Amino acid sequence: MEKRHNSTIMYLLILFFVSILIIFTSLPVLAHKVIIFAWVEGDTVFTESKFSDGKKAINSQVLVFDKEGTQLLEGKTNNKGEFSFKIPKLTALRILLNAGMGHKAEWKIPESEIKEAGSISEIKRAGESSQPINVGLSKEEIKELIEESLDRKLRPIIRMMTESQSKGPSINEIIGGIGYIFGLMGVAIYFKNRGKRRREVKNEN
Amino acid sequence: MHISEGVLSAPVLITGAALAAVGISVGLKKMDYEKIPQVAVLSSAFFVASLIHVPIGPSSVHLILNGINGLLLGWMCFPSILVALALQAILFQFGGITVLGINTMNMALPGVICYYLFSRLVNRERGLISLAAAFSCGLLSVFFSGILVALSLLFTEQSFMSVAKLIVVAHLPIMIIEGIITLFCVAFLHRVKPELLGGIYGKTT
Repeated sequence: MEKRHNSTIMYLLILFFVSILIIFTSLPVLAHKVIIFAWVEGDTVFTESKFSDGKKAINSQVLVFDKEGTQLLEGKTNNKGEFSFKIPKLTALRILLNAGMGHKAEWKIPESEIKEAGSISEIKRAGESSQPINVGLSKEEIKELIEESLDRKLRPIIRMMTESQSKGPSINEIIGGIGYIFGLMGVAIYFKNRGKRRREVKNEN
Repeated sequence: MHISEGVLSAPVLITGAALAAVGISVGLKKMDYEKIPQVAVLSSAFFVASLIHVPIGPSSVHLILNGINGLLLGWMCFPSILVALALQAILFQFGGITVLGINTMNMALPGVICYYLFSRLVNRERGLISLAAAFSCGLLSVFFSGILVALSLLFTEQSFMSVAKLIVVAHLPIMIIEGIITLFCVAFLHRVKPELLGGIYGKTT
């Protein structure tokens, strides 16, 4: 009687669980996390913020810190989840997104990247002040042109990287997690059972 | 509703973890041999539920299922939710390890509260009253979770009322959906496996 009772419980629970699995597989696999991604283009830093289900983090606070932790500037993302600013200081930047309700993410830009961008903008400024009537292209100008076109060409790749950054959990991880839970169940049953056996042995003695 | 890592200050984290530890130890004490599989199944349901997003409303929200967890497990929903949240943190990077305590607290305590509020009505009554109680159980557990999240953000976000309002409004569709899910689960269990719900049905058999 007891045994039958247990097996029906198990059957029912499995049924319930499978139905949930079916519901969930029919929906796109989505996650719940917020992500900020930032890259340097010329002398401007662009950021893009989104939840990992692809929804943009609109009107969220973005804070920019230098490596000592002092706040350089702050702003809000627009309705595409984007926020851009001119490089405020030639140092490694830490960009913090605060999407509210306890959702927070950060992105670091290393000093080398900023320095590079900074040197370009300085060249640009120097170039502007010098006489524009110059038939041949100087080394700096060529470099600048290459940088510009590279930035432009690389933009779609950077976009692709942001997309891949925000991928939700894969089916492997989901099934794996469920497997862990059932493994833990086995461990729990084992220990409960051992305690019960020990008590039974004691009672017999 | 997972709070990310690095949002909360240490005292809040420690308080949350301590309260969660109390709940977990009570839950483990109450967990007997026959309940273990049920805890595991509801834990996996909770684990998977966070991947089901509801694309209604202003923010990124997902199913929680803490109502049905609490209703069927009582205090045992603490260990159930802890395991699910730990795996979500490890595999999906939802929440995090340091915020595990407070997140468990925020999700499981409403479950326990709803267990005490509604399990009698769900179990003892028949027909409409039972179903209405099940619906309110699913709805209110999400509502209480929202309030608890707002409370834990109290020390970082300043204004409690605005955060609470934001969270509750964002989760309104989820509340209704969870209410309906809980209602259907209870209706299904009443018909097929009333022993799981305890109460008069369980005792007479």
